[in-house]
Amino acid sequence: MTTMTAAWKRIGIALAAAVALVAWTGTALAQEFEKIENIPKQEIPAGRFVSIAYGIIWLAVLAYVVMVAAGVKRVNQEIADLKRRVDRTGPRG
Amino acid sequence: MRSLGTGFWVAVALAAVGFLVVPSLILQSPIEPNMGFVQKIFYFHVPCAIMMFLSTFVCAGGSIAYLFKGSERGDRLALASAELGVLFGICTLTTGPLWGRKAWGVWWQWDARLTTSLLLFLMLVAYLLARRYGGPAGRKLAAALSLFAAINVPLVYKSVDIWRTVHPKTTVVTTLDTRMRVAFWCSFLLITLVWAVLLIIRMRLERARAELATLRLDAEDELAEGRP
Repeated sequence: MTTMTAAWKRIGIALAAAVALVAWTGTALAQEFEKIENIPKQEIPAGRFVSIAYGIIWLAVLAYVVMVAAGVKRVNQEIADLKRRVDRTGPRG
Repeated sequence: MRSLGTGFWVAVALAAVGFLVVPSLILQSPIEPNMGFVQKIFYFHVPCAIMMFLSTFVCAGGSIAYLFKGSERGDRLALASAELGVLFGICTLTTGPLWGRKAWGVWWQWDARLTTSLLLFLMLVAYLLARRYGGPAGRKLAAALSLFAAINVPLVYKSVDIWRTVHPKTTVVTTLDTRMRVAFWCSFLLITLVWAVLLIIRMRLERARAELATLRLDAEDELAEGRP
């Protein structure tokens, strides 16, 4: 019975020490924050956002036009190659 | 490829004029008191979203013609408009977060309008992937998928009225100030013209590809007959 009480006492002391340590660390961490009187207003530049948005649209359209133009060029080239091949073989009959 | 008609070049000229005029109209329109200057993204974000909707409907229309009548022209129209849907979807889904970052303080919110819009965009991407990698049945699979995408459009549009969301409601366009309204509709007209011009040139390319495939088959026959 005496052994049990001593064990509980030791656990209690250990818990109290742990709580004290956590509380001390928390206070120490809290002291890391600095108090600022005149907080500067966080301003996101709207003009830049509007310009980027407008730019994205026209860049996307331009990229698409370039892709389609490349496709047209490829098709025309293939048609020309095909005609050349047929001409080289000569007329039928 | 056959030459493009007068209407096409008129649309190109109008789009070029609009490209110069519309930005000045947007800049001259009044600044919205709550959101400030960033609200000007609205003038091209909304028309891009409408073009994504329109592309989805046109894609579904073309797909119906292909599925039920076997129309190759309908299939070409569906493909061209699906690509434009993805293009304008990219524009909508990038300009929106830029506006949201300033107005809401975050780039993205998983709210009804944004989530359903993303879903629509992914459906259009899936359409293109199914066509490209879906094998012999890919075109029909993609066509069926486009019908589901078209069903999603009214849901995207009405989502702001059905669910609580941070996104502005559908009434925002109808309640605009006169100068804001002029800038908005001019911007809408410009983006619609760009959409129409892109659709025409993309369809022309697809028709040229189909003609090339036919020519290739004919040439192979001729070459086979010409061989000794």
